[in-house]
Amino acid sequence: MKLSDEQMRDVLQKAQANKEAGAVPAFGTTWAIAGNRAQARRRRRGMVAGSAAVLALAFFMLKPSGDDLHYIDTAELLETTSWAAPSDSLMPEHQYDIYEEIPVLIESTETYGGALL
Amino acid sequence: MRDSDVLDKNPHISRSALEAIHGQVFGWALSRCDYDQAAAEDLMQQAYVELLTGKARFEKRSSLKTFVFSVVQNLARSRYRRIASRLRLVQAAGVEMAEEAVHPVEPDENSVLWEAVQALPQRQRDIIELVFCRDMTIEAASSVMGVTTGTGRVHYERAKKALRNKLSEWGKT
Repeated sequence: MKLSDEQMRDVLQKAQANKEAGAVPAFGTTWAIAGNRAQARRRRRGMVAGSAAVLALAFFMLKPSGDDLHYIDTAELLETTSWAAPSDSLMPEHQYDIYEEIPVLIESTETYGGALL
Repeated sequence: MRDSDVLDKNPHISRSALEAIHGQVFGWALSRCDYDQAAAEDLMQQAYVELLTGKARFEKRSSLKTFVFSVVQNLARSRYRRIASRLRLVQAAGVEMAEEAVHPVEPDENSVLWEAVQALPQRQRDIIELVFCRDMTIEAASSVMGVTTGTGRVHYERAKKALRNKLSEWGKT
């Protein structure tokens, strides 16, 4: 049996039509649902964009200003004898108090003018 | 094209033009989902969402039908690949998907041809469906499938040859 292209086309079109008979949903319904989904998508994207904007705003508002970026505050040092070294997870916090942790100097037994050297 | 009909984000597409090809596009969506009605409806809605939001933008480089078929094809590829393969596994395991209404009990020339088409490799099946059943040119069908016209033509010729061989085998038995 040898079918021409046209015969094959006819046979397949009929078979396809059978397969799809009655299956096509109304355009209006599909379009309306798609419209709702598009709106929902827009809303979702709007919310995401809004949240991102709020987060960005909060970040810039709460970000410490350039003046605060001193490792050592001079006034703080003058008011106290204690100083905390800048630290992060790699460098554990260490607090010094110059009265408590003043280095022990090697005592000299030699005097000069009544005072130990 | 009526002005009120034109999509905001896709100025070269009108609602009425889409309505005119709705049936054909749905047939294509159905075949992309292994004839699963619910999946095809979802795929259609998703395709219209892409057009409404302008994510898929029609620039008149092809016919509207070719363009919308491509949108459906691409969505099906990305979203339904797993579902389709699962369905094929189920079918391979012997679960018939209500095909009795389509195929007569006694095999005839038509059902043999239909089954032969279904047994073709995916791309050959696609091009035969697009050219024979959806009235597309080989060039448009190749564009929908995302292959060059030359490649599409090769798939088309191979598919026809395979179908003829299958029918001649059936004629001998």
